[in-house]
Amino acid sequence: MRYDTDYVLCECPLDSLKGFVESLESDYPVRVVKDPDVCLTMVRAEDSLEKQEFYLGEVLTTECEVEVNGEAGYGLCVGEEPVRGYCIAVIDALIHQGIEDPRILEFLNEQGDRVQRSEKEEYARTLQTRVDFKLMEEE
Amino acid sequence: MGYVAIKGGEDAIENASRLTEYERVNSRTKPLEIDQIRTQLGSLVDKIMGEGSLYAPEHAALALKQAQGCPLEGAFILRAYRATLNRSYSSDIVDTRSMRVVRRISSAFREAPGGQILGPTRDYTVRMLNTDLASETKEDFERFISEFDFLDTDVLEEPKPFSKIMDILMEQGMLHGVDEDEDRRVVDITREAVKFPAPRSASLQMLARAETGGLCALAYSSMRGFGSTHPTIGELRVGKVKVVVSDRRGRKRCIGNIKVTESEVISKLKQKSRDPVPYMTLGYGLCFGHNETKAICMGILDRAMRVKDEHPANSQEFVLYHTEGVESYGFTNHLKLPHYVTFQSGLDNLRKAMKRKQDAMKSGEKPLAVPANAEDAVDPAPELL
Repeated sequence: MRYDTDYVLCECPLDSLKGFVESLESDYPVRVVKDPDVCLTMVRAEDSLEKQEFYLGEVLTTECEVEVNGEAGYGLCVGEEPVRGYCIAVIDALIHQGIEDPRILEFLNEQGDRVQRSEKEEYARTLQTRVDFKLMEEE
Repeated sequence: MGYVAIKGGEDAIENASRLTEYERVNSRTKPLEIDQIRTQLGSLVDKIMGEGSLYAPEHAALALKQAQGCPLEGAFILRAYRATLNRSYSSDIVDTRSMRVVRRISSAFREAPGGQILGPTRDYTVRMLNTDLASETKEDFERFISEFDFLDTDVLEEPKPFSKIMDILMEQGMLHGVDEDEDRRVVDITREAVKFPAPRSASLQMLARAETGGLCALAYSSMRGFGSTHPTIGELRVGKVKVVVSDRRGRKRCIGNIKVTESEVISKLKQKSRDPVPYMTLGYGLCFGHNETKAICMGILDRAMRVKDEHPANSQEFVLYHTEGVESYGFTNHLKLPHYVTFQSGLDNLRKAMKRKQDAMKSGEKPLAVPANAEDAVDPAPELL
């Protein structure tokens, strides 16, 4: 796996993730232990110089717990995203019990490429706004 | 004299609420969609998230819709919603050094490593009313996007993090912390009542959720001369940072990105007698969303509150209590609630005093002083939501 699984699953398009997890459900029966629900995550931060830690504020978070083959999977993501939370939990349960389904690896790599490409495009747009200073006498 | 409960006005309250709704919908314009608010009024949504102390763009947009665009009311609604939810996780410290930067500038160093990245900003635009926006269409959006998105997708660079500009000063030994003896406890002001002097962690948390206008007013007072802070922006950066938590198995899990604005404000530190060389220090600002004014003012006030001086911006209690938007908004608006009994009591006292004065004048005696009005009493410090 070339990418951080959780990051890819949080950032990839929801439709792709939903469709993929639906395709797995026929092979891996899923029991929902805890329906997706919203909760809070307190974000910790620190100042750059003195490393003074402080609480920045809370982030709305979705959490979900499932069982696949008796193994628990936990889904966590920023925002109120019940479908994504469920899908992450299912994939987490499969990965955690060591199931090496090539479809999962393929999906994660494909979506990871997609997320990375989108970030590269954002970076390129950002770099277009980099200032090229010229001294007045060079004009 | 205690408070007396009164009843009545239920129908009037219900009708007032319906009248408010009538005013919102009576024009029969197209209902605002949450996505429209979230994307096209992004600055306002970000402001609400910061002041509501809850990173939730869709919910902040909904709160704004409910509040009919009033930012104070929107932040209040968002904070009230936050109070209904369980806090299940606490993140690792967010790493702003590895921020996915979309904007990053320095007023201190022209040739900053990595360059000055203007990103999305209105700083260099003419503040003239753009009448074209009044008649724009979705087709205009599409036309702009197709003209703008002309990236050469074959040569896209791998995104790289930007080093911190303050590292330049640190390497040269010019940047130091303020006070080694400062209270460094990490407190959570939503769980522990604030007492003054409060640890710096409490200050930073309160500033991060303070009202932008209030922060701007007090930071401006400090810059104008009611204080000793004349800052230089070492670095201002806007972008996304990863949020990482531990799940129930104890494994580190990334739960996504949040957009934040960070400001590092450089100012000179007054030389102490034992320090032969003056040096510089930082005021720190960090807030949810893209809100540069807030982050800069937070940095200025963080610094100002650590200076022993007598101006408002140097007083931790003054700054933190009076920039707390939900509290100040709530307190101001509580004045509209019935104060019939206390006001009548004040009138009674006044009438008695007037009568005493008249009686004294009739009898040729010196009148007694008028007693203090109960209305002058200041309510105790409110609980934080």
